[in-house]
Amino acid sequence: MTLEITTIAPAELHAEMLRLKEERKMDYLRNLIGMDWGEEGLGVIYMLESSETGETANLKTLTADRENPCIPTVSDIWDIANIYEREVFDYFGIKFLNNPDMRRLFLREDWVGYPLRKDDKPEQENPLRMDDEPLADTTTEYFLREDGTLASRQHTIFAPEDYVVNVGPQHPSTHGVLHMRVKLDGETVRKIEPVLGYIHRGIEKISESLTYPQMLAMTDRLDYLSAMQNRHAMCMCIEKAMELEVTPRIQYIRTIMDELQRIASHLIYYACMTMDTGALTAFFYTFREREMLCKIFEDNFGGRLIMNYNTIGGVQYDILPDFARQVKEFCQALRKRFHEYQDIYTTNIIAQQRMIGVGTLSLDEVISRGVTGPSGRASGWHNDVRKRHPYALYDQVEFNEIIRTEGDTNARHWNRMDEILESLHIVEQLIDNIPEGEYQVKRKPIIKLPEGDFYQAVESSRGEFGVFIESKGDKSPYRVHFRSNGLPLVGAMDAACRDQKFADLIAIGASMDFVIPDIDR
Amino acid sequence: MEERNYIQGILHASKTLLVGLKTSIKIFFEHHETEQYPENRDTLIFSDRNRFCLEMPHNEKNQYKCIACGLCQMACPNDSIHITSEMVETEDGKKKKQLVKYEYNLGQCMFCNLCVTACPHDAIQFNQEFENAVFDKKKLILTLNHPGSTLAEKPRPVVTPKPLETLKTAE
Amino acid sequence: MFDFSIVTKWFHSLLTGVMPEWAAIGIECFIVLLFIILLYAILAIALIYGERKICAFFQCRIGPNRVGKWGLLQVFADVFKMLTKEIIKMRQSDRFLHDMAPYFMLLASFLTFACIPWNKGLAILDFNIGVFFFIAVSGIGIVGILLAGWSSRSKYPMIGAMRSGAQLVSYELSIGMTMLTVILLNGTMQFSEIVQQQADFGWNIIRGHVPAIIAFIIYLIAGNAECNRGPFDLPEAESELTAGYHTEYSGMHFGFFYLAEYLNLFICGAMAATIFLGGWAPIYFPGWEGFNHVMSLIPGFIWFFAKAFFVVFLLMWIRWTFPRLRIDQLLSLEWKYLMPISMLNILLMALVVCFGLTL
Repeated sequence: MTLEITTIAPAELHAEMLRLKEERKMDYLRNLIGMDWGEEGLGVIYMLESSETGETANLKTLTADRENPCIPTVSDIWDIANIYEREVFDYFGIKFLNNPDMRRLFLREDWVGYPLRKDDKPEQENPLRMDDEPLADTTTEYFLREDGTLASRQHTIFAPEDYVVNVGPQHPSTHGVLHMRVKLDGETVRKIEPVLGYIHRGIEKISESLTYPQMLAMTDRLDYLSAMQNRHAMCMCIEKAMELEVTPRIQYIRTIMDELQRIASHLIYYACMTMDTGALTAFFYTFREREMLCKIFEDNFGGRLIMNYNTIGGVQYDILPDFARQVKEFCQALRKRFHEYQDIYTTNIIAQQRMIGVGTLSLDEVISRGVTGPSGRASGWHNDVRKRHPYALYDQVEFNEIIRTEGDTNARHWNRMDEILESLHIVEQLIDNIPEGEYQVKRKPIIKLPEGDFYQAVESSRGEFGVFIESKGDKSPYRVHFRSNGLPLVGAMDAACRDQKFADLIAIGASMDFVIPDIDR
Repeated sequence: MEERNYIQGILHASKTLLVGLKTSIKIFFEHHETEQYPENRDTLIFSDRNRFCLEMPHNEKNQYKCIACGLCQMACPNDSIHITSEMVETEDGKKKKQLVKYEYNLGQCMFCNLCVTACPHDAIQFNQEFENAVFDKKKLILTLNHPGSTLAEKPRPVVTPKPLETLKTAE
Repeated sequence: MFDFSIVTKWFHSLLTGVMPEWAAIGIECFIVLLFIILLYAILAIALIYGERKICAFFQCRIGPNRVGKWGLLQVFADVFKMLTKEIIKMRQSDRFLHDMAPYFMLLASFLTFACIPWNKGLAILDFNIGVFFFIAVSGIGIVGILLAGWSSRSKYPMIGAMRSGAQLVSYELSIGMTMLTVILLNGTMQFSEIVQQQADFGWNIIRGHVPAIIAFIIYLIAGNAECNRGPFDLPEAESELTAGYHTEYSGMHFGFFYLAEYLNLFICGAMAATIFLGGWAPIYFPGWEGFNHVMSLIPGFIWFFAKAFFVVFLLMWIRWTFPRLRIDQLLSLEWKYLMPISMLNILLMALVVCFGLTL
């Protein structure tokens, strides 16, 4: 089941994209993947989807010029394209014409070369630099003059007189090493500029030299709070390419694990949200229940955070006989405790004041910025992958897609709270009916995928997580791309936080619930 | 939130605050969840699926099962296993690979279990010893075969391993 | 109730018997100084330990339990650690002001500390405008915070200091208003006199009933804000400003801020006990002679500390329950709610006193 990708010339790209957006309502840019096809040239794969009809379209464009590859931007059509194009520029050196912000996204600004190009040797010209990382206050826009020559102009990000505060990379509330440069006017936030890449490990590049089973170990380390779902996506993508069917037992186990993982993640979300708004006590309440869940994970899969559980065509171990009882106990305990979370924090007047009407994102904004998951659903966007493109058992279980329309911090918070209950509901439907069967489908020891492009998305704890694999028929993939669920969230921070107070920046960031290793990859 | 006037607002706010205070004081008198390590070391029970450190089980005669085939080394995504082997001649004149040193870098290990599933002879496994902290990074490079140990004699004649076929299906 | 002034007078006459008056006063001042520093240290240790334990209990934890039995020596270990830490000198900071700021904090808390009537006849500073003096000297702390933020030449402390300026100045008003309510009821600004009246006629919170209870609640809220404690800990708001105005302080300079914070907490509790809960006056129920007799056998300072720590516990309970407010909400709480209510409350109290409706 390879992806059908239409090729299109760079010159016609912009008009065609505009047509797709206007006529076929392709308003959601799922992915923008940079590619290096060697001899054929450098290019980009665009994956589009319509939020209304659910139609999808995949396009690619490429240019043979390796010295000065230029492709017109689509950042004026979809807001999220801006940050995606910066990523492609960073990795492949493709200059997106008329993109107002052509800087590197993850790597240092003084990095030499474009590491994901197949002919690039990053080690040679990039020694371990001991000096401070330069951070430019200006950015470059490339455009074509009328005679067809490439030219550039500079834009200012921060003027010298701006009061810019560095939030991060070491900051208690950025949940890791996120760095945001925030322009303040008194207490009011005027502009946010995320500086990414502090925990960039180049997993996409590393994966190109690993075999498929080895690659699996990497996915747990992206969004570590959605470890199970990420690995599920990767396994499903590979299984799809191999046309491998897994047994119902495996499907049941995987679905239950995904939902338990989602509960664990949302419990941590609650803890972080309360901590970031200063309610340190509530922080411990959910950690108490999450500990039960961790114990279940530990007993069954031998890991609390990084489980390494899903494998290609199955799962690592069969579940223990005690599993169903443990999970049911947990579900009961959590339901009993659930009102405490709301009593101490969510319904509290101070928390309500901090959340209601703060950081509002409109429906158009979230779609254009690709904000998926509970955060996107808080603005009324029906984007749950479990409903849109059902996988595993999600077309058989009964559950509601939690939708709110306010789009503020409160809606995002409540969405996650309700999703905990919804996940409990799913788990309770499945836990007593796990069928007997193999927990690992027999397959060849050496895995080679057929030639083609494969994509599989799952609904991870904080949005659509997708795995894109381009295979040339080898043991290792030719190109792997992960649709990060956190990158669009960070991209939307600027829109959500403008003209809010500085303290709201933290609350909005917490309600977006991004995990940094997933953004930086 | 519905519109409230000044007095209603104050009353509503006080009510939610009191609910919060009630909840927190209830927890105040509840059981504390703290686990007191290392006092609870004896009661810490880990399931045998926990992967803390790779080990090579030796039997009572100081014998291991590893035939130095190198599959685990190949399966490792992080190059944290390094096997040194030598060719020796057995009594019946056959050449045979023998393990000299099985080096495992705990500091690099991702605990993905690929090596254990790749092993055709169940020669390695993960153990449940979690207190692995050391002061020097070099001490994390462990040699798994004990000094003076030898290959365990198989009850049935040893077939020359054909790695790919004997590889277990479970990854 | 045992009058402590007998002891002090006896000690004074003892000293004047062997030396001139000025020398006696000098020695007495020195003893008082020792007493106040010692008490300050002991209270700080008790409060820090108490806070850590109480906070832990609210959070399903045990809290410090490694250093000494039940972690009793934890605070000593912390202080020792802080003493051994280097005091960092930053380039481009205003060194003189930067070093001075923590002492302003200490000064403010020492001076307010001195106003507290510990027992009958045992107060360090006790004169006819005690309340006025108390409010005045507690304002010095703001200078310390502002200086700390300003002189650090760093953005986070600066924002924290500016926040604290807005916050403390606003909440001083409410504190003043609530104290004014009590002055209306007692007709004096002298702390010892306020407590004496409560010992004679019943605690203010009972005697003044509705307006006194309202004033007490407002005092708790405003006092919490004055101490920069959650949910009003915006000047340090660790989730956005890392550590607020004292971000750039290390070692014992940070320790002074830390000490002053806890002492301010105690002073807040002690003041609430003094003006609302009867200070050192024991609890009396009219008609229960036996009970009242037993109560009066308990020394006054024990009553005082019990009440003060009760209020401190209330404040900790509040701190460890609620999320933090935002700066604009904080100010609207003061100016839209606490201020108008406490002004009306003064009016109410005036009416109550005027028409003799006190209990």
